[in-house]
Amino acid sequence: MSLLWLRVAVLLYGIASLAVLPAALYDRPRWRHVAIPATTAAIFFHFVSLIEMLNAAHHRLPVDTHETQSFLGLVLALAFLFIHARYKTVSLGIFVLPICFLLGLVPAFHPGEEATTFPHLHTGWVFLHVALLLAAYAALFLSLLASLLYLIQERRLKSKLPALSWLPPLETTDQIALKTLLFGLPCMTAGLLIGSVLAQQTIGASYFLDPKVLLSFAMWLAYIGMIFIRRHSGLRGRRAVYLSSFVFLVVLAVWAANQLSVVHRFTAP
Amino acid sequence: MSQNHIAPNLVLLGVNHTTAPIEVRERLAIAPARLPDATRALAHQPGIREALILSTCNRVELLTVQEAGQASGTLNFFYEYLGISSADLQPHLYELREREVVRHLFRVASSLDSMVVGEPQILGQVKEAYATGREVGAVSTTLEGLLQRAFTVAKRVRSETQIGSSSVSIASVAVDLARKIFDTLEGKTVLLVGAGKMSELAARHLIQQGATSILVANRTETRAEQIAQQFNGSVIPFDQLYQQASRADIVITSTGAPQKLFERSHGQQFLQRRRNRPMFFIDIAVPRDVDPGVNDVEGCFVYDIDDLQQVTQANLADRAREAEAAEAIVTREVDKYLERLQSLNAVPAIQSLQQYAEAIRQAELRRSQAKLATLTPEQREAVEALTRSLTAKFLHHPLTGIRRAAREGDAQALDDLHRLYTGQSNSEPDSSKKI
Repeated sequence: MSLLWLRVAVLLYGIASLAVLPAALYDRPRWRHVAIPATTAAIFFHFVSLIEMLNAAHHRLPVDTHETQSFLGLVLALAFLFIHARYKTVSLGIFVLPICFLLGLVPAFHPGEEATTFPHLHTGWVFLHVALLLAAYAALFLSLLASLLYLIQERRLKSKLPALSWLPPLETTDQIALKTLLFGLPCMTAGLLIGSVLAQQTIGASYFLDPKVLLSFAMWLAYIGMIFIRRHSGLRGRRAVYLSSFVFLVVLAVWAANQLSVVHRFTAP
Repeated sequence: MSQNHIAPNLVLLGVNHTTAPIEVRERLAIAPARLPDATRALAHQPGIREALILSTCNRVELLTVQEAGQASGTLNFFYEYLGISSADLQPHLYELREREVVRHLFRVASSLDSMVVGEPQILGQVKEAYATGREVGAVSTTLEGLLQRAFTVAKRVRSETQIGSSSVSIASVAVDLARKIFDTLEGKTVLLVGAGKMSELAARHLIQQGATSILVANRTETRAEQIAQQFNGSVIPFDQLYQQASRADIVITSTGAPQKLFERSHGQQFLQRRRNRPMFFIDIAVPRDVDPGVNDVEGCFVYDIDDLQQVTQANLADRAREAEAAEAIVTREVDKYLERLQSLNAVPAIQSLQQYAEAIRQAELRRSQAKLATLTPEQREAVEALTRSLTAKFLHHPLTGIRRAAREGDAQALDDLHRLYTGQSNSEPDSSKKI
């Protein structure tokens, strides 16, 4: 049943991805009235499917890659809706909604079959750990996206080319980039703290020598550094994109480090 | 066919910016306070059933519905009420009739006939003229329907084309650009350096869009104070310009200084003080006040008069493209409007024919009353149904013919059909009731 709901959600993400194009590019309110409700409905079905999926697998955790992908898609879609509500722009949806669609597509048609090997984990806390870190990743991704859009519009305005009408004003894009970063910071901090406490209790001090874990702390430091620089110097435009890209690369490295990690593995094939 | 059957006696006389110079237009212009009286006076001219006056800075047009076959007093209104001689008026006057009136009005309301195509004020002016006409009782059925349709067409043109979406004046282009940089202009600070008409206009536009704080710097302090007072702003002593300029989000420069006022290094200083918050320089001065190198400073955006004019030209070209699409909408709407009028023309003929047939049916039934007296109620009902059905079948082809003739605007066929079946011309009074 969970797969059915996920497929419905993916279909709705697909509809929203198409509807957002005329809504953003040609400022057609009629299509905006399709894109936003479709995204809201997709989030609802996605949420239902995720809960059913996790319950059915008896672990209540997004354990395998497909489940994590699907969860990340849900967080991104939620973030898009929040940005739309706060800044009245659907421009980011041009990029975010197709990503949500793709992130849901694989789990919808090829669900993961891995199960957790740690049945006695404090499920609630681990769930929170995963959810908070995924929210931080989503925030960083959106911040990078907003910074890129800022750069594109800034270049056009400086070159005296017609500004892209579908992009929000520079000030709005900058606010989205900064606010998403600021939102991601407590998520990442709390996520890492919860993970550290759980690891200390279940694995012990050796956990902190794992490359995945070390990289995670490096990522946190880079994140803190980026926010400090952006807030302190009001960094915008090209340099802000470079900085966000660097931290994003660190995040990708942390993600990829799961393959190298000995202790940060909770699945059995 | 007679055009009277399309749009009954619609006549428009007027002058506009393409036919008459300002000297003529200003002699004819009617102030809003005088408009009700003028409309009433026009409506009271001989041969005029309905009237409406559209008077703007670019046009004075008299739209009337005239009595058939009567000479109207519209020209007299020009001569007597507006006090212009025939010799002064005739070279600039245009007269439109029927279909051309409908098309012209739709184009005017949609801002396709404006000096700046797509400008939004004209629709409001047409609406005001219409409201005045209604108020004084000069607008009735025909103009009511025509004007309502014109408003719908104008709305359609606005919503289905981008004709009014881009700015075509230097000041509004500057505001548009500012809004691409800053989300909202509310709470933004504008610095006026120098005192030119154009910069004042740009500042006024920015204030209208929400900019709250105005700073003025001018070499002549009294002039700076005058401008500051005008905008409820404050004065910056000119020798403190570089210390204070970073307070402004938008800088409008229009000094007559022979050398650049703001160099690249100034831009860097300002941005540093503003912690990289963007700064928009609108340089209207010739020679320029802002070094183009300032634009290379990240966060500084510099637009000089040529840049602004380029945007204006590009937007005008966009409007011209959109105007083509708008013209197509207007043409379709004119056809639809006239088609609807034509189908309405068929209604009296259809009603008259139906009444005529029904009167014959009733008369025949009355004549046979004695013979039908022995029938049971069911049999009477059957006879009623039979006669009704026969009448409807007989009428089917003539009614279809009338509808087709009306749709095709064939007044002759309409009249022939009517005469053939009722023995009366379409224009003569209905005699069916006499049967």
